[in-house]
Amino acid sequence: MQDVSTSPGSIARTAPDRAVAGTWLIAVASILFAALVLAQSLYKAEVIGWGFETWRPIALAYVGWGVALALGMVWRRGIEGHKSLFVLPAVLFTVAMVIFPTFFGLYIAFTDWNLSSFEGRRFSGLKNLYALFADPYYWNALGNMVFYVLTVLVQYAIAFGLALLLNAEIKARKFFRVAFLLPFMLSPVAVSWMIGKSLLEYRYGPVAKLARFLGWDSPAFFTSPWVAKTSIAVMDAWVWIPFIMIMLLAGLQALPKELSEAAKVDGASKWQSFWQITFPLMLPVSITAIVLRIIFQLKLADIVINVTSGGPGGATDTVSSFIFREYRDRSNVGYGTMLAEFYLVLIIIFITLLLSIANRWVKKTQ
Amino acid sequence: MKIELYNLLTRRSVLKGGAAAAALGVAGTAGLLPKSARADFRADLLKIPGVGVGSPTDADWQKVGEMCLGATKQNVTEGEFAGVELTFMGLNNQNLHNLLFRGFLKPWEAYTGAKINWIDLAQADYNGRLQQAIATGTVDFDIIEMGAPFEGDVCGKGLASEMPDWVKTQIEMDDYVGYLKAPVGTWGGKTYRISIDGDCHNFNYRTDYFSNAELAEAWKAEGNAGEWGVPTTWQQVQAVTKFLKGKQVDGQDAYGYLDPIKGWGGFGFYFLGSRATAYAKHPDDPAWLFDPDTMKPRINNPAWVRAIQDVIDALPYEPADQLNADPGTTGFQQFLAGTGSMLSWWGDIGSNAKTNDSSVIGDVCGFSILPGSDDVYNSKTGQWDKLASGPNFAPNMAYIGWGVYVMARVDSDSKKQKAAWSAAAHLGGKDISLWTAAYPSGFQPYRNSHFNVSEWVGAGYDEAFIKSYLDSEANSYNHPNAAIEPRIPGIFQYYSVAEDELSKIWAGGSDAQTGADRIAAAWEKITDEIGRDNQIKLYKASLGLS
Repeated sequence: MQDVSTSPGSIARTAPDRAVAGTWLIAVASILFAALVLAQSLYKAEVIGWGFETWRPIALAYVGWGVALALGMVWRRGIEGHKSLFVLPAVLFTVAMVIFPTFFGLYIAFTDWNLSSFEGRRFSGLKNLYALFADPYYWNALGNMVFYVLTVLVQYAIAFGLALLLNAEIKARKFFRVAFLLPFMLSPVAVSWMIGKSLLEYRYGPVAKLARFLGWDSPAFFTSPWVAKTSIAVMDAWVWIPFIMIMLLAGLQALPKELSEAAKVDGASKWQSFWQITFPLMLPVSITAIVLRIIFQLKLADIVINVTSGGPGGATDTVSSFIFREYRDRSNVGYGTMLAEFYLVLIIIFITLLLSIANRWVKKTQ
Repeated sequence: MKIELYNLLTRRSVLKGGAAAAALGVAGTAGLLPKSARADFRADLLKIPGVGVGSPTDADWQKVGEMCLGATKQNVTEGEFAGVELTFMGLNNQNLHNLLFRGFLKPWEAYTGAKINWIDLAQADYNGRLQQAIATGTVDFDIIEMGAPFEGDVCGKGLASEMPDWVKTQIEMDDYVGYLKAPVGTWGGKTYRISIDGDCHNFNYRTDYFSNAELAEAWKAEGNAGEWGVPTTWQQVQAVTKFLKGKQVDGQDAYGYLDPIKGWGGFGFYFLGSRATAYAKHPDDPAWLFDPDTMKPRINNPAWVRAIQDVIDALPYEPADQLNADPGTTGFQQFLAGTGSMLSWWGDIGSNAKTNDSSVIGDVCGFSILPGSDDVYNSKTGQWDKLASGPNFAPNMAYIGWGVYVMARVDSDSKKQKAAWSAAAHLGGKDISLWTAAYPSGFQPYRNSHFNVSEWVGAGYDEAFIKSYLDSEANSYNHPNAAIEPRIPGIFQYYSVAEDELSKIWAGGSDAQTGADRIAAAWEKITDEIGRDNQIKLYKASLGLS
């Protein structure tokens, strides 16, 4: 294969004047873009009297700057510049869609921004943070999240059992694999209505009727705090157990069969074979599944919003459903964003600690 | 029957209806018809599909829209709006709203050549969507179905288009009931709203319960005061609710009053309001929610706390799942389906009782204005007053009805502006409104002409039933001590935060006074965020104090 970087006439070698032009293009485009952003910011802050009515031209300028950056890289660095073209669009897109909104959100979190206010957005320093620390609804929701996260362990145990079952030589295995996955394919909103508002409905719901038949006089699934919380957790588990199960099943299928066969030859019981061989070998997959599931669980909202609106008395409220109310019903964008950003920080710390502990444990057991 | 024959029949009947409508339409607006001809026209209109023959369908809505096109034809030539596209934002909940508007406007679109795009919102999403559009300057709709409480947010910020005079004539605006006339629908002296609804909460009750001899006997046997009958005060409502617990009517568990407990995006607060107005709205004071001079909340005064305590006391006697019942559940899945005997709701219960397929109470439903109270709290003296005239009644004008508003963004294009107002006027016409008042629509009577009992009887309504219903509405609207809702920005923020705190109270998380104090503190915070001086000014204006 010919090395393009050394072949005559290739674009690998960059003429010095072209490289200089590239540098200038990047510099000029960057200065222009920065000047535009600065001018528009000053205009919106009513410091200067001219600017664009909306931020749309700045978004277009960002695209233009991206194009200039790409072109400048090619001119300046030749083949190395071409390589950067593969990465640059993704980087610019991530900056625009993830990094910028996160930092902008951080700014919004420190403002007093009620959508009904005639005065619009005002910087309010740490006011929202203080309000958060004194907000009983937020801490109540965080407390509920501890319960919901702990239910992941129960979901994991059930999912492991189902995965073992589907990994065994049973009849209609393929059918069961698809059937067990169905709840995961359903939207949680649909589950809220199908199960929470139909099957569990107090008057005509089949589950309520069955509960009455079994002797429960008033089968109200969402009126006392712990019953409501458990009912939500059960519906949530019904949706998400298949997710854990499918990950564990993939792990089980990847395990070398020789080990369990050797254990069988050595006279190990099924329990010993599972506990001494399968479970330890499955630990890395298990931890991945649990961590991913916890991340999803921390965002639990849809079922709660649809079925209980966080009630009774906040018993089923989650942080996300509370933030949803703060935004949607109260148009309190500044405070709602502070709640969300603070929760993000908590999640990052929690997951980092969780991963660190899990890694140590896995190393220890292995 | 062969499908082709059925289709032919159906098409024929539609064409027949359409031809009749066209004949009337060509003759001019229905308003220009001789009195007797207009009466015939309205009688024909109310026969679509006819009371007692099931819920109306999209074909019926289109037929109604077609029949009522005459008024539009007076002001718009055929195809005049060809090429115009309008965006309409409204509700898409079980009470119909946008679903109905689509049917009504289809013939209007066919005649004028305009096209309508729809933004459908769930009730609970409405406030957030609207506020976001306003605050971010992204109003992406030309026409909006909106309640008067939002006028502060929209008209107060110059986002609505002023109503042209020809629209006022077309919709026969003078026919509105008194409380829907200015200042409702106006801002700074300009008119913005076409009313399509007149809201108040009335009191719905089961006539079979209150004429039941066994219950009457048991009522006396248990030593209750007075005769067994429909309660007229909240004190009586409480007593009846407690009495009915554990009894049966027609083999089913009997229940008294139904409180919607679960939040409904702020709309659930109206139901506590209906329990509170008789205690909190003094005839000598127009205000009942805030102090008009300071915006200090009254939600934690003895009147409101008493109403909250009433709910706490009644809950153990209501159905076991009441804590998870929102107003929609309470009205449609409980009361219309036969559970419970007393309910405060908007007029939809009355218009659905006989025309909704899922209703089982059409023959046993009666109506009155909201119950009163033996005494009323006087915020100025801090005392409970007993009025010489008897119990204090204060109907809750909850939400002041839906209206259709045109947004100012169409004003720069005269063709589009006329199209938008024409579409809005079609929905708010005098005759079409009679139909929406009589059938499931999400709207209740709001014009003086809606209270002609013979028209309703002609449509198939039982006279006693409809008289009871219309009286409950008219007597609420015209009540001298009606509690009018404040048209101030962010009103649903107040309601939403109250719903959260009330949810805690209902679940036993705090007592009535403590919870009410917390709501008051949260309301003070919202007032400061939005701007206290401005809120005071607008609140006073909404009460007619400035």
